[in-house]
Amino acid sequence: MQFPAPDLFSSHRLLLITDQLPAPADFLLHRFLHLHLRQSKTAKCFVLAVSESLERWKSVASKANANVTHSESFQFIDVFDQHPPAQNPGEGPLNDISLKYIYDLLSAKLSDSQTHGQIPLVILDDITSLEWLGVSLLDLSRFARALRALCVKMDAVLVVRHHIVTPPEPDALLQHLLQLCTYHIEVRPLASGRSGAVSGEICVHLGPSMKDANEHVISRTSALQYRLTESSAVFFDKGTSTGVL
Amino acid sequence: MSSFKRKTLSGRANLPQGTRLSPFSTSTVITSTGIPSLDDILGGGLPLSCSLAVLAPDHHSAYGELVQKYFVAQGLASGQKVCIVHDEPLRFAREGIWMAGNTPSTPAQASTAEDADDEKASQHDNKIKIAWRYEQMKKFQTTVSSNSLNDDLCLSFDLTCRIPATALDAARQSAQLIPIDVDIFEDGTGVIEQIEELLSNGTDAHAVRICIPALGSPHWDDMQPPTVLALLHSLRRLLHRHPNACASLSLAPHMCTDTWGGPGWVQKVGWLSDAAISMSAFGANPSLSSLFPSHHGIVQILTLPAPHTILPASDKYSTLRGLSSAAGSMGGSGENNLAFKCMRKRLIFETLHLDLEGGVTERRTTPSSNAMALDGNMVHETMPAAVLATEGRKGSLATVEVEFERSKEVVSDTSTSRAIPDADDSLVPAKPKKPKKKVAFRSERPDLYDF
Repeated sequence: MQFPAPDLFSSHRLLLITDQLPAPADFLLHRFLHLHLRQSKTAKCFVLAVSESLERWKSVASKANANVTHSESFQFIDVFDQHPPAQNPGEGPLNDISLKYIYDLLSAKLSDSQTHGQIPLVILDDITSLEWLGVSLLDLSRFARALRALCVKMDAVLVVRHHIVTPPEPDALLQHLLQLCTYHIEVRPLASGRSGAVSGEICVHLGPSMKDANEHVISRTSALQYRLTESSAVFFDKGTSTGVL
Repeated sequence: MSSFKRKTLSGRANLPQGTRLSPFSTSTVITSTGIPSLDDILGGGLPLSCSLAVLAPDHHSAYGELVQKYFVAQGLASGQKVCIVHDEPLRFAREGIWMAGNTPSTPAQASTAEDADDEKASQHDNKIKIAWRYEQMKKFQTTVSSNSLNDDLCLSFDLTCRIPATALDAARQSAQLIPIDVDIFEDGTGVIEQIEELLSNGTDAHAVRICIPALGSPHWDDMQPPTVLALLHSLRRLLHRHPNACASLSLAPHMCTDTWGGPGWVQKVGWLSDAAISMSAFGANPSLSSLFPSHHGIVQILTLPAPHTILPASDKYSTLRGLSSAAGSMGGSGENNLAFKCMRKRLIFETLHLDLEGGVTERRTTPSSNAMALDGNMVHETMPAAVLATEGRKGSLATVEVEFERSKEVVSDTSTSRAIPDADDSLVPAKPKKPKKKVAFRSERPDLYDF
């Protein structure tokens, strides 16, 4: 089973990936990155990282035989390391995450790297930590909207990861993001807890702007299950894992 | 002599003291937390550049601090640098634990003496009649006493031994133990800056352990949830930048539940740490303590460290969690439930299994040590049909009592271990009471079993 289907990544799309603590979705982000880089030699990818380190991205990529050492194809932007030049160096690094500055930086990088026919991939991992660390909801929803507009303008695909900590109730940020997204990829743990053969399941829902299109949709009842491996994951339909068949 | 030279692992020579390469992923360097069973849960040990958060929501016990004491002791004993962030760091260090005796022993050696000491069940007659085909099987193990990976890494500590003043002074002198006092800072950011300074001044040759035994205790200024999360996040980023360090912190009890931090708080802590476990003790809950008499609390795993791979090492390597047998493509069993217990000399993490149906007194040949105390007080209610057979008492009459329904005046009110009616007392002299092996058979449908 192949997930995601290759044409999920057409441009102007915002893919919202939500996950929960027992079933984190970082494998999906890495997989998107590897597939994208494998598509062509001039593929470009930008990662706006909040929690994971560059070390981990590199090491997982090397295990999956994807080349991320080229600075052209893979750019790692650590959100907390970017300070606008006018800022006083004396302030603590936590308080002055300037989302506007990051937006400008990304926009400059995207316009620098425009090539015909190549869709850049922008990954924001993850937007929830920014909220937990004190950025206001208003700022974050504006930032998400601005990123979406930027990616539409630059013909890029935007992937945003959001953590759900209160499973049945969507929090305010999730509601904002759901309004913007084209597809909502939900990674959920199994209701019966952790297992060796199945690490979780994936469902894909349509965003509000896509009407009538039913491609790529995977409902919760027929969710695609996956099992984590060292550098990626193996996908299979429910009930068809190799232990069963 | 052949010209064939064995290639030595050149990586070995460059590893800091007290650490080793993870067998799962050669780019990860792991170190022991001081507790072999916790090392097993984490997949061999705590990887460097990872932070471990231990939540212990019980207000009346200090299991989180106990785990930190092990962490500090292991660091000092294996020659690593240990940095304690506390309001009185030296006092915390002085109350630390140490190894028993003069020579450090591995947990495997220490545990054999331990088991005879603490577990009374081993004093019972061990010659239970076991069906012959099962004689060769090893006894059911609920915990990992010695981690085969870390045999020489993880030293065994004795909770009854305090760290000797000489060792402590030597550590202070050689700058192996570095205290950071929390009182002088306004809030968490000052602490982070101090830790950052310490890490950037150090060399890569030594592994550094950062220990925060009581994050959120009253000496840390009034901490709000966003401050705690910011602290966790910046500590984690710091560790990513200095990969020869690892951190272990324990939150103050009132901060470990969703009631303090809001909905989803525990999960947020889990997301912002590389590894997180929660030890919920049974102390406040008498029903749970009686349900699991030989454990002190349940362990919930929130996050597992996977610094260089997608799959956490624990999924493949942990024997306690039990996923390793199923982590391949075959098998699909779920993981074991985990619990911890604090014995007189050590703290261990074990698998937790429900007792057989009906509780401890039924169908068990040797009751567990803690359960014996409960046994004597149990009064049996009506039993529709009870056939009590006594074994192991030589010379006594086989007493069979059949009681019909609704006979409340049960003779065995005295105690379950004496199944003799009073009339027989004169015939049979009182023998020294050994806990009897008895098999109690109770049936809810007496008509089904006619004997």
